[in-house]
Amino acid sequence: MTKLAIFEKEKGKKDMVILNYFRSDYIGFKVLKAVLAATLSFFMVFVLYLLYNFETIMADIYKMDLIDVGKSILVMYLSIVGVYAVIVYAVYTHRYSKAKKELKDYYSKLKRLEMMNSK
Amino acid sequence: MASLLVVKQYITNFIGRYEVYLKPLGKFLLAMLAFMTINSKLGYMHKIDSFAIVLIAALLCSVLPTNFIVLLSAVFIILHMYALSLECAIVVIVLFIILFLLYFGLSSKDGVSAVMSGLLTSMGIPYIMPVTMGLVGGPTSIVSVGCGVMTSMIIKTIKANATALMAMETEDMTAKLRFVIDAVLDNKIAILMVFSFAVTLLVVYFVRQLSIDFSWPIAIGSGAIIDAIIVLVGDLSMNSSVSIAGLLIGTVLAIVVGLIVQFFKFNVNYNKTEKVEFEDDEYFYYVKAVPKRTVAVPTRNVKKINSSKKVVRK
Repeated sequence: MTKLAIFEKEKGKKDMVILNYFRSDYIGFKVLKAVLAATLSFFMVFVLYLLYNFETIMADIYKMDLIDVGKSILVMYLSIVGVYAVIVYAVYTHRYSKAKKELKDYYSKLKRLEMMNSK
Repeated sequence: MASLLVVKQYITNFIGRYEVYLKPLGKFLLAMLAFMTINSKLGYMHKIDSFAIVLIAALLCSVLPTNFIVLLSAVFIILHMYALSLECAIVVIVLFIILFLLYFGLSSKDGVSAVMSGLLTSMGIPYIMPVTMGLVGGPTSIVSVGCGVMTSMIIKTIKANATALMAMETEDMTAKLRFVIDAVLDNKIAILMVFSFAVTLLVVYFVRQLSIDFSWPIAIGSGAIIDAIIVLVGDLSMNSSVSIAGLLIGTVLAIVVGLIVQFFKFNVNYNKTEKVEFEDDEYFYYVKAVPKRTVAVPTRNVKKINSSKKVVRK
């Protein structure tokens, strides 16, 4: 009973919040946040890169193949966002499974306690 | 050994009984240490480089969640960088946003680890953190340890180049920005440390979970050795200036702290291991039961014996 109470007070609250969502919704939401975070980070680093190379870019802008440059920037962006999204997907899939397992264990112990009390 | 176990039980009971007071006190002390270290290392903004401000900030952190220590430390650093130069502040803000997005996305519960990593890196002994976090945390703790190490290394780099930066007052913004970014990107030691700590943490984490005898000591030893090897090889190949004495002392401390953590968290008696098999409706179970080392804590019973007093009524 004590273990159940401790679980309810601490980890159980967080696990119940996680399991209020369907698996696909929870993981999808986290991956979406990760994609937004990676996009914001990439944008900021890109702006810093432009400021760093401002003079060179302004001098060479008419000589550059802008479509090629755009393609390489897009490829870099998609790789960074893709890798981070995969990592976040793996982490939150594991967390969702762990929360589900812990709550299943909690409910089975609760059921046993209920059976003990009804006797 | 028995006396050590009794001491451990006393400590555990003490912490359990007074946790309500010890937790805020711990956060207060950690915050004080973090802010005072930042002020001593940087100290460019005199308004926040005062004991009163540090005390107020630390008192605030003691009642708020642990991540506030991380956020306020970042604010202190940004303010000092702004006092040094606007370009420094811009670069540091961008770096912190990236680190925070990573940290809050993957490892937001490891606030203490992030702050301790930064503090230990500034003291020159960061090697304790990956071994400890491999034992008590998980793979996502790489992010919190990495953030702490990166922050401390960036502060060190900018401080080393501060004089040159202050001499560039007449230069334009892009020149100063380029100087700061070059200084930050040239920091090979930071990348080496983060890579080494990531590998160490993963090695310690996966080895300690193996169902072999003495998995924790093996994890601690192998993690510390792998960390030292990667740092040494990286130092030789990149020609960076890692302190060998610091590395040796840090490695030894990492092993000592790891063993202390093991004593408190995973103290088992492998001599009395039992292997059992059983089944239920769904599964066959092959269980290896390793008993924990426990000892009964002696309790003191105080018995008061008073002589009976006769009351005489008139």
